[in-house]
Amino acid sequence: MLQSTMKIVPSSVPADDPVDTTHAGDFVQLQSVYKSYGENLVVMDHMNLDMRADDRLVVIGPSGSGKSSLLRVMMGLEGIQSGSIKFQGRPYIHGADSGRSKRIDGKLQRQIGMVFQHYTLFPHLSVLSNLILAPVKVGGLSKADATERARTYLARLGLESKLNAYPSQLSGGQKQRVAIARALMLEPKLMLFDEVTSALDPEMVVEVQNVMLKLAEQKMAMIIVTHDMHFARDIATRVVFCASGKVVEQGAPHEMFKCPKEARTREFLEKVLHLD
Amino acid sequence: MHYHFDFSFLAESVPPLLEGLKVTIELAIAANLMGLTLGFVLCLLVMSRWAVVRVPAQLFIEFFRCTPALLQIVWFFYCIPMMVNVFLDPVWMGVLALGLNLTAFNAEAYRAGVQAVPKEHLDACVALGLKPWQRTVFVILPQALRNSVPVLMTNGIGTLQQSALVAIVAVADLMYVAKTIATQAYRPIETYSVVALVYFALSLPIARLVHVIERRQDLAHQR
Repeated sequence: MLQSTMKIVPSSVPADDPVDTTHAGDFVQLQSVYKSYGENLVVMDHMNLDMRADDRLVVIGPSGSGKSSLLRVMMGLEGIQSGSIKFQGRPYIHGADSGRSKRIDGKLQRQIGMVFQHYTLFPHLSVLSNLILAPVKVGGLSKADATERARTYLARLGLESKLNAYPSQLSGGQKQRVAIARALMLEPKLMLFDEVTSALDPEMVVEVQNVMLKLAEQKMAMIIVTHDMHFARDIATRVVFCASGKVVEQGAPHEMFKCPKEARTREFLEKVLHLD
Repeated sequence: MHYHFDFSFLAESVPPLLEGLKVTIELAIAANLMGLTLGFVLCLLVMSRWAVVRVPAQLFIEFFRCTPALLQIVWFFYCIPMMVNVFLDPVWMGVLALGLNLTAFNAEAYRAGVQAVPKEHLDACVALGLKPWQRTVFVILPQALRNSVPVLMTNGIGTLQQSALVAIVAVADLMYVAKTIATQAYRPIETYSVVALVYFALSLPIARLVHVIERRQDLAHQR
C-alpha cells in the first residue's frame, strides 16, 4: 500500500467528469486484431479495444493473456495476421497473412514511446547521449536543442546531476527513469509501459511509479501493463482485463477492483490481491 | 644433472636474435591487422541473411578452425605457389597463413560480441524510430566491438605464439634464429629458455591487460 500515501491522481473519478467506459474512443482503435505464433499459440484472438486521448489504460491479466503482445504490436515490434489498428483516427497497422509483413504508418509509429521491463539504456553512451540519439538522428533536432530538451526532462525527473553519467553508474530505478525520459524526448502522444517496475528492487519501484503518476497529471495517454494492482488503481482511468488474447472486461478502476462482473476477472483478482 | 649453464655465447648472438625478433613482431602485427579487419568483414558475411554469402563464409571459418595451424602454413607455403604460380616472399606467405587463420577466429569473436548485445536493445531502437543502419552503427556495433575486445586480444597473442610455426618454412623469425643458434652452439637449453622468455615478455603485458579489461566489463555488467 505504498502508493496510497503519495497519490497524485485521484483514484476515484470526480462526479462532474465521469469516464464513460462504454463510449468508444477514436485515439486508439483495435479492430479484431489476431496474432498467433505458429498455429497453436494465439496471443491476440480477435481483440477489440478503444482508447481516448485522455485515457490511461492499465492492462491486467494472467501471463499469456496477450497484454505484452498488445504493447509490442502497438509499438510495431511485432506484426499481426489480421485485423487493423487505427491511431488518432488514421490507419496505423494492418494485418498481413504472414504475420511479418505488417504494414505500418511510420509517422504514426514515431508518436508512440515505449519503456521496457529490462533496462534498455545503451551502456556505451552517457545519459545525455542516450537521450539525444534519436531526436538528433531521427527527429532532426540540432544537438544543442536536443541537449537543452534533455536537460529539461532530466531536471523534471530529478536526474539533472546524472547528465554525463553512464548507465552502469545508475541504480535500477534511475535507469528506468532515464529510459522514460529517453522515450519522452521524441514528444510522443502515447506512452507504452511494459512491466517497467518488475525487474526493480522494491525500494526503487516507487520512484519510477511517481514519474509515471506525474506524466498522468500532464494528461499523457498511456497503456500500462503491470502486476501492481495498487498502482493500477492509482493511475488508471480504465482497467482492462485480458485473458486468452481477448478483452474479457473493462471498466473504471474502482468498479473493476470492487465488483468485477465476469467470473474470470474475479478469480484473477482474488488470486493476485491475496498474494500482495 | 651435471649440466653447466653457459649463457656467454648468447652475447654474440644478440644481433641475429634481434633480427629474428623484428621479423616475429612484424609477422604478428601484420597478421593482427589482417585478422582484425578481414575478421570483421567475415563476421558481417557470416551474419548475412543471404545463404549465398553466409555459407561460404562459414565454410572458410570452419576450415581454419578445424585444421592445424602448422598444416595451414605448410599448405600455403607449398601448395599456393604450385597451384596459382605465384611466388611470394616467405614472410608474406607467413602473414597470409597466420592472418587468414586469425581472420577466422576473430570473425567468431566479433559474432559472439554482436550476439551478446541484449535483444531488448533492438526493441528499444525500433521504439526510438532508429532505422536499421542506425541501429547497427550507433547501438549494436559499438557494444559488440567492446564485448569482443578481450577475445580479439587473446586471439592476437595466440597468433604471436603461432608465428613461431613459420620457422618450419624457413622464415627467419625469432624461433628460426633460435633453432639455428641452438644447433650451431650445441646449447639448446640456454637458447630456447631465453627465447621462451622473450615470447613470454612480449605476451604477458597484453594478457594482463585483457584481464583488467574483462574485470572492468564484469563490474559494469553487474549493476
